[in-house]
Amino acid sequence: MPAHFGHLLKKAIKTFSQVNREKATGMLDFELKELENIFALLILGGFVGLPSPPSPIAVELLPYMEKELTVLLARTDLSQDPLGVLMGMLEID
Amino acid sequence: MRNTIFFLGKGGVGKTTLSSAFALALARKGKNVLVASLDPAHNLGDALETTLNGKPKQVEPNLDALEVNLAEWVDKYLEESRQQLKANYSYNMTLNLDSFFSILKYSPGTEEYAVLWAIEDIHCRLAPSYDFVVFDTPPTALSLRFLSLPAISGLWVAELTKLRERILKSRQTIVRLNPESPVAASCVDKDDDKVYGKLGSIRTRLNALDTLFSKHSFLSVIVNPDDLSVFEALRIKEELSRLGIPLSAVCVNKQGVSDAEWKQNDELSHLPQFTFDFCRDGIRSRKDLETIGVEHLLHYFLNKQGKA
Repeated sequence: MPAHFGHLLKKAIKTFSQVNREKATGMLDFELKELENIFALLILGGFVGLPSPPSPIAVELLPYMEKELTVLLARTDLSQDPLGVLMGMLEID
Repeated sequence: MRNTIFFLGKGGVGKTTLSSAFALALARKGKNVLVASLDPAHNLGDALETTLNGKPKQVEPNLDALEVNLAEWVDKYLEESRQQLKANYSYNMTLNLDSFFSILKYSPGTEEYAVLWAIEDIHCRLAPSYDFVVFDTPPTALSLRFLSLPAISGLWVAELTKLRERILKSRQTIVRLNPESPVAASCVDKDDDKVYGKLGSIRTRLNALDTLFSKHSFLSVIVNPDDLSVFEALRIKEELSRLGIPLSAVCVNKQGVSDAEWKQNDELSHLPQFTFDFCRDGIRSRKDLETIGVEHLLHYFLNKQGKA
């Protein structure tokens, strides 16, 4: 019984610690996604009329940017409600 | 040592004629020479009385020549990127690639880059087998664009590298605070990040080309005794000095083509001048190239090489 309780307590502390870690990195995570999004936008901006590096540079980098492209597409979906995303991230109801 | 020679100038001033005559004279002095045409509208083969393609062909002892096929270079490069992309991306991300790449072929800047890749290939793969490489360039607009690309692209690459470093730093911080974050699955170190590695390799290649243009090239601008070609030469000089690429000589070709009074522009007159008489019968054979009289330019060039 005490062993079982100890196990539960350990799990609870671990979960509590993980929740705090997630909270602590939430803002950084948001910032990272924004940076990845900007990076992808800078590379591919020429295709939507933004200033961008010469397209051959974009072509050279493109094969290694699948993750950034996924972030860019996900951000495009969220772009309809950017304030909602920000408020959600800051936990403002 | 400046062992790469570029002849620049307005269309029709005699770039092909002088570059092939110079390469021929250099080869007959016992130097091993490659002359390469970068002009999409080639006529180096016509001047040397032979048929050329993208591979070096011996024209006479010590002299090889080639004509760069820019369309082939664009296709080759895009195909390599397409294969790389197919290998790295998941299937559903690559479904519409074909149409995307066929548009890229006509994207602005692609032709200028093709010239750069061709120069890089000649410089790295072929040049070590020769004493000198002479380039017959396309008219001014395209030439200035490919000469300026290493500097302009270098700025972009530097900024993108800074942003990438910031991304990697953010990823490292997140993984340190929360090792179970999904970010841990992506690259966090500079050494592992392929985008960072690719940016580094692009920077290295651009720097090598920049060094080739600014430190190892003898650039000569060709003018005719008329104001239009001189005005264009002034624009070339101005653009090159902005890029930190020194102009080594001015060749006044077709001297005597008209009786109108003409005087060299003051801004060009401080550079070494070499004059070439107008051939009234035209340049119709390789033998005619010998009569142009490039000895004084050749002597100056070899003298400079000796001092370097």
